[in-house]
Amino acid sequence: MPTILSAENVTRTFSIGRGPDVVAVHDFSLQVDEGEFVCLLGSSGCGKTTMLNMFAGFIQPTQGRVLLRGHPITRIEPRCGVVFQSYALFPWKTVQGNVEFGLRMQRVPAAERRRRAARFIELVKLQGFERHYPVELSGGMQQRVTLARILAADPEVLLMDEPFAALDAMTRQDMQEELLRIQEASRKTVVFITHSIDEALILADRIVVMSARPGRVKAILENTLPRPRHVSIQLSPDFAALKAEIWTLVESEVRT
Amino acid sequence: MNGDTQVAIRADGVQRRRSRAHVSASPLIKIASVCCFVLAWQLATTTGVISPLFLPSPGQIVAQAQELIASGDLWSSVLISSERVFAGFALAALVAVPLGVVMAVWWPAKAIVDPFVSLLRPLPSITWIPLTILWLGIGEEQKVAIVFLGSWIYMLFYTLASVQRVDPLLIRAARNLGARDFAVMWQVILPAALPGIISGLKVTLAIAWSCVLSAELVAAQSGLGALIWQGKDWGNLPLVLVGMVAISITVLIADAIAERIERVLVPWERHRRG
Repeated sequence: MPTILSAENVTRTFSIGRGPDVVAVHDFSLQVDEGEFVCLLGSSGCGKTTMLNMFAGFIQPTQGRVLLRGHPITRIEPRCGVVFQSYALFPWKTVQGNVEFGLRMQRVPAAERRRRAARFIELVKLQGFERHYPVELSGGMQQRVTLARILAADPEVLLMDEPFAALDAMTRQDMQEELLRIQEASRKTVVFITHSIDEALILADRIVVMSARPGRVKAILENTLPRPRHVSIQLSPDFAALKAEIWTLVESEVRT
Repeated sequence: MNGDTQVAIRADGVQRRRSRAHVSASPLIKIASVCCFVLAWQLATTTGVISPLFLPSPGQIVAQAQELIASGDLWSSVLISSERVFAGFALAALVAVPLGVVMAVWWPAKAIVDPFVSLLRPLPSITWIPLTILWLGIGEEQKVAIVFLGSWIYMLFYTLASVQRVDPLLIRAARNLGARDFAVMWQVILPAALPGIISGLKVTLAIAWSCVLSAELVAAQSGLGALIWQGKDWGNLPLVLVGMVAISITVLIADAIAERIERVLVPWERHRRG
């Protein structure tokens, strides 16, 4: 598979007040292949969100380059659709209106827009809630709307910033299963941020373990667990073995 | 969300549904409370505890009100004052809301307008009465001008604050979904700011009413403020009180209408008001 998204020796610093500049990401390089599911795994403050923001074009690298299909990302890039941890749904739009937003921006005709929105609302199992406002839905349902909204806009890459972190354990599992189902069916390229080893192992093809302060690539692991996958993979011995392997990598980070 | 499930928040922060008795008895108690007050007032004035020179009895007020209603004076006063409020208020909204939006999204505009706003804001609308009379006479234009001058700055502040408070994450999300500047403005910034702008307008509506009344008290031939002032000049206290009650009821009705309009314009906020 050809590379779709890549970071070449990316460094990003932030100036905070009068103190010295903080290096959030240091010399980060990664190539994401088309159709691949990559997890960035790391503790909070390891620069994984900063990296995602650069892939989305929200911020620019201080050094190095971020490329989409070989071209530098220099502005907010609609081809890299973001699923935000805090949903970022438009409260004045119904579920239907939210899901149609990206299509409306692409000037898709109304009838086609409605048809495609209906498909993705069904995909995330929210039929019957089309006319509800986000505030009338639970957290898990709101996150489903966000997912449907970005899938309907059909970006080339999905960037997901700890999308399930705010959900309770059972809803999270449910959402992980949905995402597996959707991603395995669509083979959409996904860059997924998480601080959960389990989540990374359930979802990813490849896991990028990041070290903190400054954020660097500590290791990149192939996730050899078979596909199609189900959340019950957590119970397999292979899962436990991989988890132990990652844990030793992460442990040294946590200890220092 | 539901009309019949009212929620009361007690001092200890526990939310509980009001009992059926609570919901049905509350209006009864309100009516009884008003009746008792009016009865006590009537007794105090007829027995001479309070001299009718200081406070007319409810009966006198009702008689005066009937007279004013029959002659059509009350209705025409309400109408003329309402027209002035509406004209001045609409004019102020037409100027202040777009200006506030521009100031919020384009900093040079804010820098240009800010010093004038700072200087004008401390001036109560009544301080404009001498100048506006000089410029516009004591006709309709002057009343409308006083309403305008007394309300536009508040609208500007509410609009500015509402637009500045729009969550930048929503703008980011919209751009990520392919929205350009125009769409971000119309599809994100304005709807996100709308609830704040509308509640600002509601507050300003009450201010606009006090503006028109002060203008009418100082110099006017018609309107509710003028009605009260005539009552005072003629030594007709019941007329003064009828005017005051009429003002109160008119402003309450205007508020209720504004509330209805708000519900239609920002349906997604409905749950918050219950």
